[in-house]
Amino acid sequence: MLSLQHISKYFQVGGNKNIILNDLSLDIDEGEFISIMGPSGSGKSTLLNIIGMLDEPSDGYHYFEGHAVHQLKEKQRSALYKQYIGFVFQAYHLIDELTVYENIETPLIYQDFKSAERKAMVADMLDRFNIVGKKDLFPAQLSGGQQQLVGIARALIAKPKLLLADEPTGNLNSKQGEEIMELFRKLNKEDGVTIIQVTHSEKNAEYGSRIIDLLDGKIDSSRKL
Amino acid sequence: MIRNYIKIALRNLWRHRGFSFINITGLSIGITACFFIFIYVAFELSYDNFHTKADRIYRLVTDIKTPSETINTSSTSWAFAPNIRADLPEVEAFVRTSGGSFLVRRGDVKFQEENSMFADSTFFKVFDFKLVKGDPRTVLTAPATIVFTESTAKKYFGSADPIGKTVLITGDAVPATVTGVMKDFPGNSQIKADMIISMTSLTQKFNKGIDGQWGNFGATTYLLLKPGTSPKAVEAKMPAFLQNRDGDGMKKSQMFYRLMLEPLKYTYLYSKRGGQEVGSISNVYIFSIVAIFILLIACINFVNLTTARSVERAKEVGIRKVVGAEKSQLAGQFIGESVVLCIIAFLLTLGIAALLLPAFNQLAGKTVSSGIFSNWYYVVILFVTSICIGLLAGLYPALVLSSFKPVMVLKGRFSGSRKGGILRKTLVVAQFSISIALIIGTIVVYNQMSFMQNRDLGFNKEQMLVLNTNSDPAKESLKNAISSIPGVVSTASASSIPGGGNNGAYSEIENKMGDLQIANLDLYFVDYDYVNQFKIKMVAGRSFSREFGTDTAQAMLINEAAVKLFGYSSPKDAIGRRFKQWGREGKIVGVMKDFHFRSLQEVIKPLTMRIELHSLDLITVKVSPKNLNSTLAQIEGKWKQFIPNRPYSFYFLDEFFDRQYRSEQRFGKLFFNFAVLAIFISCLGLLGLASYSTLQRTREIGIRKVLGASVPGIVNLLSFDFLKLILISCIIAMPVGWYFMHQWLKDFAYRIDVQWWVFVLAGVLAVLVAVATISFQAIKAALSNPVKSLRSE
Repeated sequence: MLSLQHISKYFQVGGNKNIILNDLSLDIDEGEFISIMGPSGSGKSTLLNIIGMLDEPSDGYHYFEGHAVHQLKEKQRSALYKQYIGFVFQAYHLIDELTVYENIETPLIYQDFKSAERKAMVADMLDRFNIVGKKDLFPAQLSGGQQQLVGIARALIAKPKLLLADEPTGNLNSKQGEEIMELFRKLNKEDGVTIIQVTHSEKNAEYGSRIIDLLDGKIDSSRKL
Repeated sequence: MIRNYIKIALRNLWRHRGFSFINITGLSIGITACFFIFIYVAFELSYDNFHTKADRIYRLVTDIKTPSETINTSSTSWAFAPNIRADLPEVEAFVRTSGGSFLVRRGDVKFQEENSMFADSTFFKVFDFKLVKGDPRTVLTAPATIVFTESTAKKYFGSADPIGKTVLITGDAVPATVTGVMKDFPGNSQIKADMIISMTSLTQKFNKGIDGQWGNFGATTYLLLKPGTSPKAVEAKMPAFLQNRDGDGMKKSQMFYRLMLEPLKYTYLYSKRGGQEVGSISNVYIFSIVAIFILLIACINFVNLTTARSVERAKEVGIRKVVGAEKSQLAGQFIGESVVLCIIAFLLTLGIAALLLPAFNQLAGKTVSSGIFSNWYYVVILFVTSICIGLLAGLYPALVLSSFKPVMVLKGRFSGSRKGGILRKTLVVAQFSISIALIIGTIVVYNQMSFMQNRDLGFNKEQMLVLNTNSDPAKESLKNAISSIPGVVSTASASSIPGGGNNGAYSEIENKMGDLQIANLDLYFVDYDYVNQFKIKMVAGRSFSREFGTDTAQAMLINEAAVKLFGYSSPKDAIGRRFKQWGREGKIVGVMKDFHFRSLQEVIKPLTMRIELHSLDLITVKVSPKNLNSTLAQIEGKWKQFIPNRPYSFYFLDEFFDRQYRSEQRFGKLFFNFAVLAIFISCLGLLGLASYSTLQRTREIGIRKVLGASVPGIVNLLSFDFLKLILISCIIAMPVGWYFMHQWLKDFAYRIDVQWWVFVLAGVLAVLVAVATISFQAIKAALSNPVKSLRSE
């Protein structure tokens, strides 16, 4: 599905080159559920952002579904991204001014779905996540777990093939975390969504089909479960 | 998508009520101020534009060249127009008008119609004034026929039909027939009157043959040129026309005329020759600039507050980009929000404008607009302007916001860009520079006003009331009767008083070389007591005196300006010199110290005074301040006893004189109001920015407090940044303010110097207001508990 080849990412700070990713190569197949682990500063989030096209590598080649991402223009990349990728964050990142319903609807608006279609899709999603009763509430009125559910619902609404999650359970208690992980597993198994998550928790990592350990911007180990 | 944007916009506005309030209020006030200025300027520019033939109507004006000077006047001789019409085929028609004051009576109803006008029968053909009753072709044809305006007709006839009825005009009770009733003159007409009398009444009845006297000026002449005629071509034919018709006359009187055409549409704003009502194109410019400034200040607020808040919106931008928004879509959203805000401001503006319109009309001194919806296109313009402001002011913040990188704003701390900070500072400096310049302007205008009102005019105008007898034969006996009232200190009669009009007389006066020099001189007819009554000082010779029997016909007083005109180095040298004026000959007996017989905008001109007892229509009465009411009642009693035919009225000289400054006072008031608005809007913006920057520095303040910073220290820290900007603004505003006010003052012959303290005062005012605005926020932040602010991180 995607392939990273000799990806590097560095910043120039003063006279020093601050290397975050160092000549990293990685292939991911459709249907995989990958957990990326590693100590703070090992480049996990940066890697995820590059995969998600939110960030650009300083060097290297990036292929996604047969497109050479490193050669695409901003607009084309955005179109590709819109079509294939959903993002989930540790801090949920819902829009505070919008209700649950509207938050979930937002991606559809940017993909030019008709109003009636949007209604049906959002209703479906609310139903699936059991949050129909909460649809008119604002994010601030929800618990962390519920907010993350909304965040995931929003990430999935446009039916992406790839779900990227940056420490999705980092702000949740263990029970809520487990529920989210179960949901991910179900999505991966039943809906065939490819998932890449960044996590600190060994336990959560084990929900995945492959664990990649990063250290100092390089892949330290890759184990299939 | 649009609905989604609007929803977000409204929710955002509501969530940040404080900011929205500041933003919308500032914008509404700005737009309201602009709107008022706009309708005022539009009104000024609309003068005389409503005539369908306006493009072909010209005012005939004259330059009169005498040996001593050239007089530029809007006045013409009654003889010019009929002869021009006869000689020049390019002229389709002419209308002469001349003002007058008429006693009008119908039964017991009597009024002195001060604002009357003679006009030719072509009046309703050339101009677009509308007759409600009567035939426009014939109403003003016969002598002693009258057209009333609707409101004047109502005074005499109530709801009855006045057509064909007779009223008595002048003290001689001449019967005149009402032949027409017209709509009241529109506010934006330079030509205005309460009643019109046929010109033939003047030329065939009251002043027979006046239209044969080429040198007798006093008519205003309008020419209607045939379509396609160039006014220049007509002007070019004037010298030959004058030479042909009045060449000998001009040579004999040594007064040479030059005739020119002024387009009717431009006379109100551009002509320097005066007229019934005079506008000022420079005031139009000044106010237009002020309007643009105020709008600019309001827009700057808008941009500043929005970009300052961008940090808060950054997260939303990041999220939207992550879920698939493109830059253009986001920019659209933010511009949309600012348009929504502007529409709210527009609605608010409609309310404020409707509410304040009567007050504004009063301030402007005329009915600029009778209702904001009376000209629907004003509202449309207002709406379009609001939308445009929304688009323009929203553009920059939208571009800044929509270009945020999601990775930057979603991860870690994000702080506003440095560049944005500099831009905001520049804009604040621009705002305050404008505000301070306006404050400087206001102070200077007020100084000049009070200077004019308090300056020693060289004569006494206190406790003096003036009665106009309009040449009633009983005026002499009335004056004597009034003199005997106990509360009356003294009386004097004259043809003219300072601040009012006076005759200009063709005069010949002996100059330094001993020749009789021709000049057109201002002339007052007075009685023996006038000089004393007004406490006018004599610098040489003597005043008029009853001891000299010849004073009634052969004596003249001149002022120092006249002494200079005729070349004498000292007033004493002028005494005993010969004069010829309006059929009288004699000697100069005294020289008066110059006094301001016109407004302080004008240099004191040469003035002559003579005794001409039958020409003294005005009775000036010096009254004692004690028992003033009883004195006034007794004066009224005497009037009713001696001149029962005429309605009684009087005015106080000091008020009458100050009336000359009405338009300047109005200008000052308008200017003051708009300056206050400008600084208010600027401060609103400053308040918003200060509270925002304080909010952003909450963490810094917390850390500083933990490290031991004192409250005043923190207040200083927060205020200093802004104060620096205000000081820079002062430095920019001062030369600009000085330059513009220097230009403005040039219009006044007697004026103040712009003093250094004006700038200091303006600067101090601005700093005080700014400090008050900022320190409130700063103190609040400095007093807050650091534990709280640090925990919130």
